[in-house]
Amino acid sequence: MFGISFLSPLFLVAAIAAAVPILLHLFHRKTEVVIDFPAVRLLKRAPVQQHRRRRLRELILLALRVVALVLLSLAFARPYFAGAVAPASAPLTVIAMDQSMSLSAPNQIERAREAALRAVAAAAGSTALTLVTFADAATVAVEPTTDRAAMRLAIAEVAPAPRGTRYRTALARASEVIGTREGRVVVVTDLQQAGWEANDEGGLPDGVDVEVAAVAPPPGNLAVTSAERRDGRVIATVQNYGNAESKTAVRLLMGSAVMAQADVTVAPLAAADVELDVSLPRTGQAELRIDDPIGYQLDNARIVSLEPPSATPVAVIVADPTGASGGLYIERALNVVGRGREFSVDVLDGSALAKWAPDDFQRRAVVFLLGTRTLSRAGRDQIRSYLARGGQVLVALGPMVDVGTLTDVLGVAIAASGDPVRTPGATMVATDGRHPIFRPFLNPSGALGDVQVDQYRRLTEHPDRVVLARFSGGDAALSEQVVGEGRLMIYTSDLDNEWSRFPLNAAFVPFVVETARYLSRGESAGEAAAGFEPRESSPAATTAEEFTKAIDRTNRSNLVDPGQAARDVEDQQRWWQVGLLLMLAALAGEALLGRRTT
Amino acid sequence: MPGQARYLDPAIIARLGTIDLKARTIVEGFLTGLHRSPYKGFSVEFAEYRQYLPGDDLATLDWKVYARSDRHFVKKYEEETNLTCHLLIDVSASMAYASGTVTKLQYGSYLAGAIAYLMHRQRDSFGLIAFDDSVAALLPASARSGHLRLVLLALERLQIGMRTNVAKPLNDLAAAVRKRGMVVLISDLLDDPSAVLDGLKHFRYRGTDVIVFHILDPYELQFPFEQAARFRDMETEEEVAAVPASIRDDYVQKMQELIGFYRRELGLAGIDYCLLETSQPLELGLMSYLMTRHRVL
Repeated sequence: MFGISFLSPLFLVAAIAAAVPILLHLFHRKTEVVIDFPAVRLLKRAPVQQHRRRRLRELILLALRVVALVLLSLAFARPYFAGAVAPASAPLTVIAMDQSMSLSAPNQIERAREAALRAVAAAAGSTALTLVTFADAATVAVEPTTDRAAMRLAIAEVAPAPRGTRYRTALARASEVIGTREGRVVVVTDLQQAGWEANDEGGLPDGVDVEVAAVAPPPGNLAVTSAERRDGRVIATVQNYGNAESKTAVRLLMGSAVMAQADVTVAPLAAADVELDVSLPRTGQAELRIDDPIGYQLDNARIVSLEPPSATPVAVIVADPTGASGGLYIERALNVVGRGREFSVDVLDGSALAKWAPDDFQRRAVVFLLGTRTLSRAGRDQIRSYLARGGQVLVALGPMVDVGTLTDVLGVAIAASGDPVRTPGATMVATDGRHPIFRPFLNPSGALGDVQVDQYRRLTEHPDRVVLARFSGGDAALSEQVVGEGRLMIYTSDLDNEWSRFPLNAAFVPFVVETARYLSRGESAGEAAAGFEPRESSPAATTAEEFTKAIDRTNRSNLVDPGQAARDVEDQQRWWQVGLLLMLAALAGEALLGRRTT
Repeated sequence: MPGQARYLDPAIIARLGTIDLKARTIVEGFLTGLHRSPYKGFSVEFAEYRQYLPGDDLATLDWKVYARSDRHFVKKYEEETNLTCHLLIDVSASMAYASGTVTKLQYGSYLAGAIAYLMHRQRDSFGLIAFDDSVAALLPASARSGHLRLVLLALERLQIGMRTNVAKPLNDLAAAVRKRGMVVLISDLLDDPSAVLDGLKHFRYRGTDVIVFHILDPYELQFPFEQAARFRDMETEEEVAAVPASIRDDYVQKMQELIGFYRRELGLAGIDYCLLETSQPLELGLMSYLMTRHRVL
């Protein structure tokens, strides 16, 4: 009531004590002391207290005593104003509303809103409601509340976003909101199959009921899955996710002007490339758009960058570029992506580095340091300066690296063992699979577990260094740290097929490419990345039963206490102190008035 | 006389048996404390012979003894008067009040009994009239030997009556008393002061001496109550709600004004006034009585 909640509502029972002075008052009135006295006639002539005035004082005294007791119980109940936030103990219905790209088909989001509104209307009056909107991330759009109008308003504002679907993320968020209270989840979604990401984590607590309000997916969908400028042409790929052949017009737009147009017919569950031969400026961007009257609308267009792609300059410093372990594998790996246009790789040794102009070296986006034995003083200074001024360096502590001189080369002591640790068959495990470097390995088929390392150098742990991957023995495999304004990554084995067979493993190329991308912070040039994966364009859906069965159940005891938020709010407001002060004021007033009365 | 004061404490007297014993205890203790009886004097009854001393009245010389023994002796007679005393005791409801163990009526009864006992020893004639708004009991004055027992028995059987109306019985009695004598009024005088005064003056007009014992409880004088309460009049049952602390000073002042009125007006009328608290020794009342009797005689 009035937005007031209590941390310890049981103390409100103590307010019953307020009845004590009331009863005493009534009891006192009935059994007022009567004294038989002979000289009452003299009393009558004395200025006896006016009965009405005395009664008024008694009522004021009674009110003050009752108020004091009520305030005391209120103070102990620890009240707080949570606005329309529902009490922590109230049953809660979470309406989890899908707003991913797959809700962008005509009339789909409207049907989703109607389903959500029906869930609001069906909730009991005493039930709190909360709205969680989700795509690839989940957001609490409306905190737990009993305000139905606020819920309806928020639901009306939900719109599809160009993002993917991650059901477990939404369920995890709903679980946090429900906490330990009685809860129920209504999931308003199109039940898209792609929403179940295998590596996501998240479920619902035991005992939380789930209701699925399904929004039917479109019967088919056409999507532009890629578009890029290549040799004076724009090449687009159109994917048909429907079961029927579909024909559509492909237009290239600059602003509102149609620069080129072509029709394409795409077979069921197939893709077709469309080439638009058109003269375009060398700067700016264009939009490639198709017509899809029944499918998702947010995957019907792609932005095409008109600027020629520029390769990311990468330097690979080795001890001997002519040797068998001369950075060959890294060079080949980086040249695989983008048909060799994403990275521009220079492999050089110490003597070649010494000949480079300092500015030329400083322009390198990423430096792979695989060997230091041929580095001259000038080369060491260049690397150290490069790193200190914001350079991005990955050093592999292979056999060609002289650990004793690394401090001089990098400008920071890395505390690595001089002799390698021999552990034949050691495997590498990422400590955080969500790190950009390891994202490609989330799929079990690309796991790093197949990588076997025979030798590595033991790296002493340091608080400024974050270990991103470890070998099976527990030693650091890959770490990251800030040096000056730059970033240094240390791989404790080699990347040249001498201490391990990593370069021959399928995981090597994505590992090197993602590392280079991470260090250079680059995006693939020529095409603006969409906020969702191509599979989001597939309208294939599961059933409500399959959806419910796929939900992981968690133990409530593992959850964070939802009352903590309420305690934090109460701790900030501290209304109990005000209550105690008012109680003291009431008691002081009662004492003063009581003294006058008696 | 600390010992006598303790002995005559009304609370102790109240524990004694019959009112006869109470009266005797009061009077004997009181007289013992005086060491001598100052009430020997003229009497028709022979008391003793004493050898003549120069200065003795020759009229008291017993010439017959002188004739037989040739010695001069004078005859001493016990005092005997024809004083008639009427004990008027108020038995109205207000006399039942007691803040301690002794009610005002009990205190008045002891006092009346003691005076009766003393009168009996003095061979005085005495009677008893109990009244509230009318005469409740009446024993005509008599000096017979068995009269004391009747009076004491009547005092012991006194019942609390209704409202006080001192003036009416006083006027009735004043009209009935033909012989000069003495009236002893024992009352709390919680009546219209003017009416009371008029009634007593009526006696004075007829030549009767009057002594008034104004009996009050200590609480009536001090009003020491603390707790707010409803005070109910014992006669009219009228109630007044009051907070004692706020009215105490005014009440005490009113009471002192009332006492002062009686003391002043009765004095002007030639009536003796004696204020007695029920916590005070009864000898004070006896002393007042004897002083009045002495003046009368």
